[in-house]
Amino acid sequence: MRARRENLFGLIEPLLAHVERPSRYLDHEWGAHAEQDGPFHLCMVYADVYEVGQPNLGMAILYETVNAQEGMSCERCYLPWRDMALLMRERGVPLLSLEAAAPLASFDAIGFTLAHELIATNVLEALDLAGIALTSDERDEDDPIILAGGPSAWNCEPLSPVFDAVLLGDGEESIVEACACIRDARAEGVSRAETLRRLARVPGTYVPSLYDVVTDETTTRWGRAVPRAGEDVPEVVYKRCVRDLSATEPVAQRIVPYLGVVQDRLSLEVLRGCARGCRFCQAGMTYRPVRERPADQVVEAAGRALAASGYDEVSLSSLSTTDHSQCALIVRRLNEELGPRGVKVSIPSQRLDSFGVEMAAAAAGGRRGGLTFAPEAGSQRLRDVINKNVTDDDLERAARNAFEAGWRRCKLYFMIGLPTETDEDVVGIARMAERVLEIGREVVGRGPKSGVSVSISVAVLVPKSFTPFQWAAQLEPDEVRRRQQLLLHEVRDRAIRVSYHDADVSLVEGALSKMGRAGFALVREAWARGCKFDAWTSEFRFDLWQAAAAACGLDLADVACEEFPLSAALPWEHTSPGVDKGYLQREWLRSARGVTTPDCTRASCTGCGVCPTLGARNVTWGDRS
Amino acid sequence: MSAARAQPISTRPQDLPVKGSLPRLRVAYEKGERLAYLGHLEVLTTMERSLRRSGLPVSLGNGFARRMRVQFSQALPVGASSACEYLDVRLEERVDVDEALERLVRATPPALAPLRAAYVCRDLPALEAWLNRADWAVELGPLCPAQELLDAIEAVRLQGEVRYLRGDKEKVVDVAGALVGASVAERDGGLSLVIETRSTPGGSLRPQVLVDAALRSMGLPPADAPRVRRVRQAHEEDGCLVEPFGPMEQAARAPLS
Repeated sequence: MRARRENLFGLIEPLLAHVERPSRYLDHEWGAHAEQDGPFHLCMVYADVYEVGQPNLGMAILYETVNAQEGMSCERCYLPWRDMALLMRERGVPLLSLEAAAPLASFDAIGFTLAHELIATNVLEALDLAGIALTSDERDEDDPIILAGGPSAWNCEPLSPVFDAVLLGDGEESIVEACACIRDARAEGVSRAETLRRLARVPGTYVPSLYDVVTDETTTRWGRAVPRAGEDVPEVVYKRCVRDLSATEPVAQRIVPYLGVVQDRLSLEVLRGCARGCRFCQAGMTYRPVRERPADQVVEAAGRALAASGYDEVSLSSLSTTDHSQCALIVRRLNEELGPRGVKVSIPSQRLDSFGVEMAAAAAGGRRGGLTFAPEAGSQRLRDVINKNVTDDDLERAARNAFEAGWRRCKLYFMIGLPTETDEDVVGIARMAERVLEIGREVVGRGPKSGVSVSISVAVLVPKSFTPFQWAAQLEPDEVRRRQQLLLHEVRDRAIRVSYHDADVSLVEGALSKMGRAGFALVREAWARGCKFDAWTSEFRFDLWQAAAAACGLDLADVACEEFPLSAALPWEHTSPGVDKGYLQREWLRSARGVTTPDCTRASCTGCGVCPTLGARNVTWGDRS
Repeated sequence: MSAARAQPISTRPQDLPVKGSLPRLRVAYEKGERLAYLGHLEVLTTMERSLRRSGLPVSLGNGFARRMRVQFSQALPVGASSACEYLDVRLEERVDVDEALERLVRATPPALAPLRAAYVCRDLPALEAWLNRADWAVELGPLCPAQELLDAIEAVRLQGEVRYLRGDKEKVVDVAGALVGASVAERDGGLSLVIETRSTPGGSLRPQVLVDAALRSMGLPPADAPRVRRVRQAHEEDGCLVEPFGPMEQAARAPLS
């Protein structure tokens, strides 16, 4: 039964005095769409707190796109923190949208952003707070249609029973088509089941309920999804791809939050996709091809959006901004035009070479915080395995340039648990950090006041779908801990700080990345036992996850640390970002031999299959150096 | 942003504009009830961004971080709305007051709408210290008869100071010095309270602290989320009250003490 659309802010207001950060629940920010006339109503949900969800660029793009449509409105919703959720349940207050403070259960459609795997239990929490049935097959005819999309939709199977439809790939066109489809179906009075069939005909839309999971000798234990008998749906749903990014509006973020959010600055997407081909990187495979925005568009958009928002900092966002063929030009022009007005330019991801340092220096102006590089592995051999095409010399040069340019703190990102990794590679991380520190001391001086320090942050490889490592087993948690300890013991200089990811959190992430549809039972059980905000260190409860797994007859390590046969049909192969399985298999085999593969925006085509499959191509506006 | 906002950074410090020489625009704005739960820092950030959006030639400080030259009146408690918040901003050049106000109104969220603007004397003390008097309207449920609440407030004042917890920290406020006056009326089935306060070196008196202390002395629980609104701010000097935009002729009400 659909809830009545009404403004229920009066139910939330008395709770505000009793919760942390009440401004999370206020709405009325600058740039929010106050007019929500519909008649078609969509609510986009980022299932984490406001300050984490609000800066999400994907959600901002879809919010603006839908609100620009005649007859369609889009509102936002974030997950209330535990204190607020508790009060809402106590007093029977349902989850509300921000703009109109309307119950989520009153919307025509709800769209979840799947930003990462650990958001799974929060999706269930949001639906439960909203009073909406958790799974597609439990919903009534008139309930909202529950949509999902985003970077972590590439193995959406463990959550697929929740969603009525999943939008794959770039959403700016497909969200409008999906909304129009739902609107028309409702207007015609067609059944919910038929509405979902129509949605499945919108390109790039996967409707889980129209697929059955089959397990046989060609599959892993999680089986594969095939079209249900009698349903006219594609065997493989390919993602949507915006071919010409420069034809889309470059300014997506128009809402200026009141409270400090995790990225409290204007963010402009300067390019989409990355072709460097790092073999562990899911985004690098699933966002292809590379599409740059031209420098003129970026500079014009920055000036316009800064004036409209009042921000004093602009961040040039992408998977690898320093790879933009016009990066130097963009940074120079922005500095010239905006620097005198006190506006800062920032580049979130640094390339590991002297150009990266040059750009960091240009963006930083006179500021010198820490400078971050991601060598990812501690030896040349292992970097070749993961196709991180940087050498020891690159790192040393970049570090020397950085210290010479005035930086004193250097941060290095690494991973452990990479395929073929040995203790020597782990020790290599410590040696590399020491080498960078030594370079710093050579350049700056050895005195205690030189202030040179290196911090290293070590993540655990979680093999992800649609990467060459999708067949790989995750490293056993005990072995993860042993290698972490090995690294800690090898680091002897106190000017080197080591931090590492929790092995247990990575294990849950690994299990969620690997499971098929049957994994939903685990997610539901974990949520029912109280798992929420799993991505928050303070909230993560491994004991509850373990108990939930045991109740479902599963063992988390057994799930995450299983290697899949190269020939097996994988649980996610009925959805596709356009990357050929053959290419991924070749990359996996090349990886084992330590053979690298070049970046197709700098060399010739490497045959990943994306361009011919999607009818798209790389778009660059200059030569990539 | 207009080209007029560009402020070249000179290499010679003596060439940089000095704050005291710049026009000082005072702006009154409200904090609507819908945004009562915005924190003070959130309001500050929002007003600074509104100033940037307005395109007014706001002067930037000469420090490393190049912050705007803007000052605000005293912090409002979270949960309180206001009819009378103030900010002073230094402009690089004088802009017509009506135009400045209009540009600000267009650039500010409606619930924080600027109400009035005027240039004020360049060398007045900082707003936060200068506006040392505030009147508050507090709406409560029908907790007790009006006179009993007023008597309880007077009893709290006579005690001299009130201790209360803010988070985990115990705070003490000098009620005798900070409370100037109070009145209570029964209205719409509840109590309508007006509290006049003065900020002193002993601290500022938050209306809810006073009300809760009074209720406690009557054996009643604290008021649950009362509606609090700052309705007036002024400067008190030599027994006179000066309105934020002047003039200075109104005499101060004699303190209860």
